[in-house]
Order: sequence, then structure tokens, then C-alpha cells
Amino acid sequence: MNNFTYVRATTLSDAVNQALTDRKSTFIAGGTNLVDRLKVFLDEPSQLIDISRLPMQSIETLADGSLRLGALVSNTAVADNREIRCNYPLLARAILSGASQQIRNMATVGGNLLQRTRCPYYYDTAFPCNKRRPGTGCPAITGINRNHAILGASEDCVAVHPSDMCVALAALDAVVEVVSPQGKRQIPLADFHRLPGNMPQLDTNLQLGELITGVILPPLSFGKSGVYLKIRDRASYSFALISVAAAVNLQGEQIQDVRLALGGVAHKPWRATDAEAFLVGKSANAANFTEAADIALHSAQPLPHNGYKVELAKRAIRRALTVSAQGGGIV
Amino acid sequence: MNQVTNTSLNRKDGRAKVTGTATYAAEHQIPGLVYGYLVTAAIAHGRIARIDTHEAARAPGVIGVFTHENRPPVSKPTNNFMASKIYEARLPLSDDKIHYAGQIIGLVVAETFEKARQAAHLVKVEYVTQAPIVEAANATFQEAPPMFGEAMTFEKGNFATGNFTAGIADAATEITATYTTVTELHAPMEPHAIIAHWQDGKNLTIYEPSQWVVGSQRTYAELFNLPVEQVRIVTPFIGGGFGSKAFPWPHAILCAAVARELQLPLKVVLSRRQMTANTGHRSQTEQTIRLGAKADGQLIAIDHAVKSCTSPVDVFTEPCTGITPAMYAASNLRTHQDLAVMNVGVPTFMRAPGENPGLWALESAMDELAWALQIDPVELRLKNETKEHQRRGLPFSVKHFAECLRVGAKQFGWQDRPKQVRSLTREGKLVGWGMAASTFPALRSTATVTVRLLAEGTAHILTSGNDMGTGAYTIVAGTAAEILGLSVEQIRVEMGDSLLPNGGMAGGSQMTATLVPAVMKACEAVLQQAKARTAQGAFANLRQSQGGHFEATASTAPGEEGKKWAFQSWGAHFCEVSVDEDIGRLQVTRWVSVMNIGRVMNAKTAASQIRGGVIMGIGQALMEACHFDPHIGSPVVYDLATYHYPSHADIPRIQVTFVGEPDYQFNPAGVRGVGEIGITGVSAAIANGIYHATGNRIRNLPITPDKLL
Repeated sequence: MNNFTYVRATTLSDAVNQALTDRKSTFIAGGTNLVDRLKVFLDEPSQLIDISRLPMQSIETLADGSLRLGALVSNTAVADNREIRCNYPLLARAILSGASQQIRNMATVGGNLLQRTRCPYYYDTAFPCNKRRPGTGCPAITGINRNHAILGASEDCVAVHPSDMCVALAALDAVVEVVSPQGKRQIPLADFHRLPGNMPQLDTNLQLGELITGVILPPLSFGKSGVYLKIRDRASYSFALISVAAAVNLQGEQIQDVRLALGGVAHKPWRATDAEAFLVGKSANAANFTEAADIALHSAQPLPHNGYKVELAKRAIRRALTVSAQGGGIV
Repeated sequence: MNQVTNTSLNRKDGRAKVTGTATYAAEHQIPGLVYGYLVTAAIAHGRIARIDTHEAARAPGVIGVFTHENRPPVSKPTNNFMASKIYEARLPLSDDKIHYAGQIIGLVVAETFEKARQAAHLVKVEYVTQAPIVEAANATFQEAPPMFGEAMTFEKGNFATGNFTAGIADAATEITATYTTVTELHAPMEPHAIIAHWQDGKNLTIYEPSQWVVGSQRTYAELFNLPVEQVRIVTPFIGGGFGSKAFPWPHAILCAAVARELQLPLKVVLSRRQMTANTGHRSQTEQTIRLGAKADGQLIAIDHAVKSCTSPVDVFTEPCTGITPAMYAASNLRTHQDLAVMNVGVPTFMRAPGENPGLWALESAMDELAWALQIDPVELRLKNETKEHQRRGLPFSVKHFAECLRVGAKQFGWQDRPKQVRSLTREGKLVGWGMAASTFPALRSTATVTVRLLAEGTAHILTSGNDMGTGAYTIVAGTAAEILGLSVEQIRVEMGDSLLPNGGMAGGSQMTATLVPAVMKACEAVLQQAKARTAQGAFANLRQSQGGHFEATASTAPGEEGKKWAFQSWGAHFCEVSVDEDIGRLQVTRWVSVMNIGRVMNAKTAASQIRGGVIMGIGQALMEACHFDPHIGSPVVYDLATYHYPSHADIPRIQVTFVGEPDYQFNPAGVRGVGEIGITGVSAAIANGIYHATGNRIRNLPITPDKLL
């Protein structure tokens, strides 16, 4: 960990102004990922701007029925919220499937959006890594890549996004609210994270000085049917090999609407829009779910060690859609 | 006394541990303490072309920077296993050569831990890199050389009796299969840490988690050319070692050497990433087993051939074949061990070294044979039990292996086991039952114990032997309480300090069998001296005579019994697994372990040892893996989030039962060890259960979701 200064932001505008004044500064809230990175010299900020006391701590219902999660609401508080458990159960379950109770108590909504990959090559400064030091190469492509991306990767980076919460948010059409000296803007979650392309050092489309203030969950009439299926190497406290967030809106046997997002497959939470488009209007049956799964993985490009993810993702999609079509629940 | 157990005591050190008052190595408070942080190699093979420490040396709070260019002096110890063993024969910072990724290439000392870590990051290193070998496929295997000399109890390597080739030719049924394990890490809860404190430049006190304080004392004395009396090792508590804390590692030698150079008390604590390279691991193994049996299941031929890997800087062969001649009777039996050098840190003892991977292969193969013969796997094992150790030609002392199998089968309900694979289902998942045998040899060493009876009404027991978290404090107190006629609360036990009488090593599951006879003898001696039948009588005598205390010291040691008997503990594991094979999700849902370990000194902590072994075995079976980048050679695990071991959610209720009788041929207490046997056979039981559930025979650990699809 290098030396840095620490300031406590008093207001939102104070926070973003501090960030623009010192361009090597970083916001800190829960710190559950940032502090780990500081300790191993992945991040070497000149200044930490503590935003943890700013007024972004509440969950509120907006006039249009949306739910707004303040950026500083803890992961635990989101997962425990009655309305979320009732209307967006896949979000509550996604959060509870990640990290540990202690980490979730500290981690915030905004911080979870900004988690960085746990790719071991990124995490160890002894390795080259295009995400950590652009232009040095990606050893994961020829190395140990069992946990790496099968969709949307590039020759420069095959890392996967680690968050469970974000997979659920992607399925829910969430919108990220940010503030900067230029004012406020809203970023659909699908556009918030980036694919690596030739700039894997950038995880998101946030601009310098922009601060996340909240996440908006639009109303979803069939949210109750939502499921989150996470497959991993141990039963608790490990990142997804594959995860699926799914919600199916049935009228009789016919699919009116569907949401499908994948985790553990790409540099960002992966919304399977082609598969969704295929399913709308179809019958909720095994054959259609199988075809939807094939469509979702159509462009998959596995690496030497992660070919299993393609088949596992298809099966997980089928399972998640099937359970959701039956009304949802724990998978 | 013929009961195996009549005692169940809470941990004597339990309250101190849960309230945080138990002092571990890194927590000792020494005035003027300074902090070291290791600099480690970014490459796995090659040499240091240039190392620039200028910036680091100028960083705030830095006291010193040490590399191979200004290495503080250390003498090479004799490095004999029983005398002064160090884990890695190459002394730290010997030269500019790099043998494995993460190798220690420097130490930065500063006023605080954070300043030392920051400055270590500023050391600039240029390397000349050679291609590392970290994959067995690229390594050259040769017959394994001897390890540690004759003093070692491990029976490894090559052995043959009868004629395997002729035997297998006569077999009605033959099984040939190859089983693999990957590199595994000890990952103890307490990281490796040391404080080295020199007084007057000639007396060295080491605070370090050491499974063998008296052995370490001798080793540090040789490393620094000191009389043994000038070295003291203090280890009241160890937060798990599993074989990785028996001897000094390079970081510890370097810490003591730099502390002498600076004449300052120095602390070095390793990060999890640093532990991966520098504090041992269990080598990956590839084992080929061939079994030949008659149609009725009687084994006539066993062949066990093993490949494991070691480091360029020391030799350690994972001794998988040691167990093979002790398990099942076969007139034609052959074992062979090969070893290859790779660019990895030094592999070493890890809970049931050899027995654990050895039984993974052998007990999987026995299950395959049982299916091939259509014989119940329990029956197959009963049919082939051996009454003697086929390598040593000695009968086993007290052996209740058959009882373990029968009692376990009954408790588990094994008789209801459907005879076909894929025949049990529950809630849409396939369910399977698996079993495997479990075993570990019984070891024992010399021990000396002092007992003091104080007029105030307490008894003190003093011995250097360690409690690694296993429960030694409690059984020492329990043993003394029983003989002295006192409550456990009236006994004070001091352990883990080389100033105390030599209590031997906490390794090889031998601490109980080593210490308990000495505690018994010393307690009897002190009563004799006090001319009392119980300690209460002695206290009355003291009060009457206004004397201070009675004290007696006694030593015990193994005698000639090892020439007449082979001593070994036995057990059986039975488990149920539930497999959702569509999505590769597995849950171990039921576990029964039945163990024959001689007399059980404390049912509560002994069962905990078995449970801990089973949990560690479930980790080995399902998730533990340290992989290395094939080109750069560095491990791609860096902490306890990337090196998976089981969470609570992975573990079912584990039912543990002890059977048999005290083994008085082994020692006067009738005890054998319990620390390691629990892990043996666990991974095979799980894989055997998965086969029963799915029909999928998995021979490569760990069994992660991708292997279940």
C-alpha cells in the first residue's frame, strides 16, 4: 500500500470537486474490494475521498413505482429489504449468494457496481496484465483460464466481471444514476460496464469525477418469478463459474416477456437479449428453453480450460428459465 | 481398563482462544520491535541480473534492506531429520539464482509493517529468465531417492514380494487405473510468522509456530553457531500446522539472521500469497494401481506406482506407497515411486503425507474392483484384511479394522444400498453411497514431563510438547487429573517452550502416545515422593510439614515392542452424496466415520480431530487446487478466496464413533494418535459415492462442477 491522503467529503459536490482537483484520487465507501487492492499495489491512489457519510443511504419508492437504491445502502440492507425480497427476489438472492455476511454488511450498492475482476493475473503484480498495465499482454489467454470469459472477450483481456448483484441488475433493466460537476446523468446498467476491447483497463463508462449516487429499479410486474442460479466450486463464499438471473412472464403457456442475464461469462454482466427475443411469444417448454440457451451461447468462444462453461451455461439457463416459468423460488 | 473412552472434556484452552487471550507467535509484545517484509521473485527460473534497493532504502522508516548481495551470515546446519532439519536445504539469499516463483530474494526492515511493505514494493529487480518447468507432463521422472535417512519412520519407495507379473496373470478379474491429485496447500488459519529476539547478541528467543520446539531449538543453534542453551523457542499456541510448521522455513532463518545483524527484535509475518511458495505444499501425484483378484474377491496381486514432484532446492517424495503393504493381503505385491524436479517451492508433510493420496488411489481402485466382481465393497475389504504388515513381516497389535467396517455399515444403513448405479434419487437429484477404508501408522517418541504439586492445592504439568490446536493441553490435564485424583481445573499445564522438559514433536499423530505415558509416570512418581495415594493427600502432607512443593520428573520412550508388532490405527468412512448432474452441483449429505485408535483420551477433541480430517478431505476431494501458470510458473491462487477449502455449507453432520480397545502393546496408556487418520480415505469415499450416484468414475481430483456434467 502506498502513502495517500485521506479526506472525508462533506457533500456530493465536495466529493466530485475533490476528485477533479486530484485526478489520482479514488472514492472509498465500504472499501471491501478497494482496500484489498491497495494492499497488493493494484491501486496506488494519491488520495482517498471518503464518501461513506454522504446522504445516499436510503431505499425509496419513486412516483412511477420504481425503487431507488441509494449508492451507499449496504448489500445486506438491499438483500433484507422487504419490497426487494417480495418484488425482486432474484436481486436479494444474487446478493446473498456473494461474499460473506461480514463483507455484505460493509459493501455498498455503488461499490458493488465497481468491483474489479478477481482474475489471478490481474491480481498479482508479478504477472503482465493489460488491465493493470496496458500493453503488457494477457497471460491468462495461454495460461490457466478455467474461470475466464467465453463471451465478448478480446485478444487483450479475458477477465470476467465478479459481481452477482450486477447480473441481477442487468436482468432487471436497472439504471445507474451518477453526478458530476456537469450535473446528473442516468446510465442503463447494460451500458454501464464495458467489454474489454483494446482498453481493458476501463471496466465502466464512468467519466472522471463522476460519482454513483443510486440505482433505479423500474417496476417489473413478473419480478416475483425471478430466480438467480449460481454454480461455483464451493457452496458459499466463492465467485460464480456460471450464474443466471432469469424471470419469465407467462400467460397460460405462452411467454409474454422474459429477462435473462448471465454472470461468470464476460467482462460485464451479460444480458442475453437475442435469447429473450426468441422466447417472447413462444411456449414455455423444454425445447424452446434449450433453443434459447443455444442462442444465448451462440457466439461463445471458449479458451483451452473453460470449454465446460458453454455447456454449463446452457444447462443453467434451461434450469433457471424452467424454475422461473413454474413461478420462481430457490434454485 | 478395556473401555476405549470414558472421558469427554471441554478444551482447557478454549476460553482463552475464543476470548482472544491466547497469544500466538506474531502477537507477542516485544519493546522496540521492528518489522520485516519479504521481497519475492517474480519469475520461476533464472537469476537476478540486477537488484536495486536504493529507493527502498531511502523510503520513510526503513531500517535495512537485505538481499543476496549483503546476506547476513548463517551456518549450514547438518540438516538431519532428527537433529536439525530445515525444510529447504538452500539457505535464504544464498546466491542470485531463482528456483521457483515467489522465492525469497530480499527482506526489508522498517519501523512499521506498512512501511516495510511499501518499501519492499520499491525494490527493483531485473532478471535473466529461463523457461520454468511447473507441469508434470514436461518434467523428467526418475526413481525417487531416499529421504531423510534411516531414522525416518516413513516406508516409501520400492518394495516387492512374490511375483506380481505371475500373480496378475492368474487373476480372474483385473483393475488397472490411474488416479491424480493436484498441488494442495496446508492453509492453516494462523499464517506463518516469527519474532526473533537477540539478547546481548548471543541469546536468541524465537516466537514462532513450531510443531517441535526442541527440534527447532537445535536447528537455530546450528544455524547461528550457538550452544543449544542459548536458544529458546516459545510456542504456546499454534493455529494449525498440518505438517508445515515442524522446522524453520527460509523466512524464519532470514528473520533471525537479520535480527542479529541489526541487533533489533524483528517480526516477519507472511501473506497468504507468500505462504504459497515459501511454506510447503503437498505435491501433485499420479498413481497407477493394478489389482488382480480371484473370482471370489481374494486379492492375489497389487501394484502401486507413483509419480510425485519436488523442488530444485530440496528432496521430498510424497510417500504414497508406504501404506500399500499394510492394507490388504496379496501374495504378489509391488510398489514403486518416481520423482521429478520442478520449479516449485519445497513440498513437504501435509496431514497424512503419503497415506492420504495413497489411499485415494488404492481405495478408489478397491471400489472399482468391487463393482467389477459384483461384490459389496465392505465385503471385499473384510475378505482381504491383512493380519500382518507385509513389508515389515510383523503382526499388527490391536487391530479392529473389521469392526470399523461392520459398525460403520450398520450405523449408515449400508445393507439397504441399492446394487445398481443411478438407482437412488431424491428431489430430482441422483444420490449415491460410498465408503472407503482409513488408516494411519501409530508413532511414538521419547518424552520427559515434570509434575509439581503445590501446597495451594494445584498441580503443574510442564513439558515442551506442543498443542497445535488439537487438544493436547486438555488430554495432558485430563490424564494428570485422573491419576492425581484432582479436577481438571486444579491442573495447570505449560507446554510449547523449549525451556520445559523435552516433550517431543507434534507431528506424525504422535503427541498423545508420546506424552500421555510420561505424564502418567511423572504423576505416579510425584505421589510416591509425597507418600500419598492422591494429590489431596500430598497437599495435606505439604500443609502439615509447611513444605513448598513436591516435584517429580519422568521420561518414557518406546522399547522393543516395535520389533514384535506393527502399530497402526484403522477406520472406515461411509458417505452419501447428492448430485444434480445437469448443473454439476454436488452436496455431501451424510457422513459416518468409525475409528479404531486404541484408547481415546478425550472423546470430544478426538472426534473433533476426525471431523477436521473429514472436512479437510472433503476439501481435497471437491475443491482444493493450486495451479501454476505453465509459462511464467507462478501460482494463480493468492489468498483464501482463490484457494478454496470447504465452507460450513459444504459440510454435513459428521457422525464419529470409536471402537476397539486400548493398545497396551504400544504403550502403557494404550493410546494411538488421531490427528491424521481422519483425512485418509475421505476423497475415495466421495468419488465412490459419486460413482454409485451417477455411474461416472472420476479419477482426477478435485471433483469440481465441470467434472460432473
